[in-house]
Amino acid sequence: MAQVERDIVLWLNSGAGKVAALDRLVEWLVGDYLVTAVLGLSLVAIWFGSAMSEARIDRQMGVLTALGTVGLANLAVTIVNSLYFRDRPFADLDVTLLFYRPTDSSMPSNSAATFVGLAVAVWGFDRRVGAALLAVAGLHAFLRVYAGVHYPSDIAAGAMIGVAAALAAYGLRRLLGPIPAKAIRMARVLCVA
Amino acid sequence: MKAFSIDYYILVTVSAVGVFQLVAMYAGLRGILLLRPSRISALLWAVFPVAAAAWFFGTEDRKLSDHMGGLSSNEIALAFFVGVVTAWALTVAVTSILNHNRDREEADPGVGLESLSRTTYFRAVLHNVRCRYREWRR
Repeated sequence: MAQVERDIVLWLNSGAGKVAALDRLVEWLVGDYLVTAVLGLSLVAIWFGSAMSEARIDRQMGVLTALGTVGLANLAVTIVNSLYFRDRPFADLDVTLLFYRPTDSSMPSNSAATFVGLAVAVWGFDRRVGAALLAVAGLHAFLRVYAGVHYPSDIAAGAMIGVAAALAAYGLRRLLGPIPAKAIRMARVLCVA
Repeated sequence: MKAFSIDYYILVTVSAVGVFQLVAMYAGLRGILLLRPSRISALLWAVFPVAAAAWFFGTEDRKLSDHMGGLSSNEIALAFFVGVVTAWALTVAVTSILNHNRDREEADPGVGLESLSRTTYFRAVLHNVRCRYREWRR
């Protein structure tokens, strides 16, 4: 199984380092900044774009749930990282790295957990936007393998954590009952919800 | 504060200004519009995030770990939050001044974001605070 993963990483990574412009684009997309900003601004757009919608409260509660998902996914990854460490592909394989050399564990992928979790949480209240965000998260995850930063199983583990975090966040929302809704009602006095 | 943090903050602030304007056009929040809604203004606001990203990635190498001058996830989250708040503050401040003389006849703009479809931000908040104060005094 480990050999199959190595072969997949080497095969995908064989495309890296050949076209400078493509490498540059991949560097942007696998980095910590662009996709984070895109997904974050998507949540901002959903929050403010729901102003005139009849489902405003549900959508804004959904945004809060997505933020909760990000927190839970990060917490879960931190816990797993404290118990298990796996070297990155570039430590063992001769890959063209299109990223800096992270020192934390390769398994599970933190970005896959966060981005997939956020996309699934959005999918819970808006299928269309959720699917678009899932596509962005999927592309980011695929390119992380292409760039030599993760093995495919790191991504799969991260994605599973993300889905579990989204489900847990929805469960937590039910548990918290009217508290988030109350916070939104208070924010309405300042015209930000 | 790291120069990298400031650059990311600028990226988010400029992008968020564009996003707020596009969202305001889409949702009909006239009170926070900087320009009249049209295809050209929509295109202009859509350029904001693209131009900000081109500037951010085009001017320096951003492939840095947080140990080598890049940002940790907490720093990214903080810069993002502060950037969005700045963009919102800039948007509501400028539009409240620009649109001050418009829609003055609106006596009760209502509560929440949807009130921004009828009046400016400052006027809407002032109305809400006055109403709350009156309720509290009763």
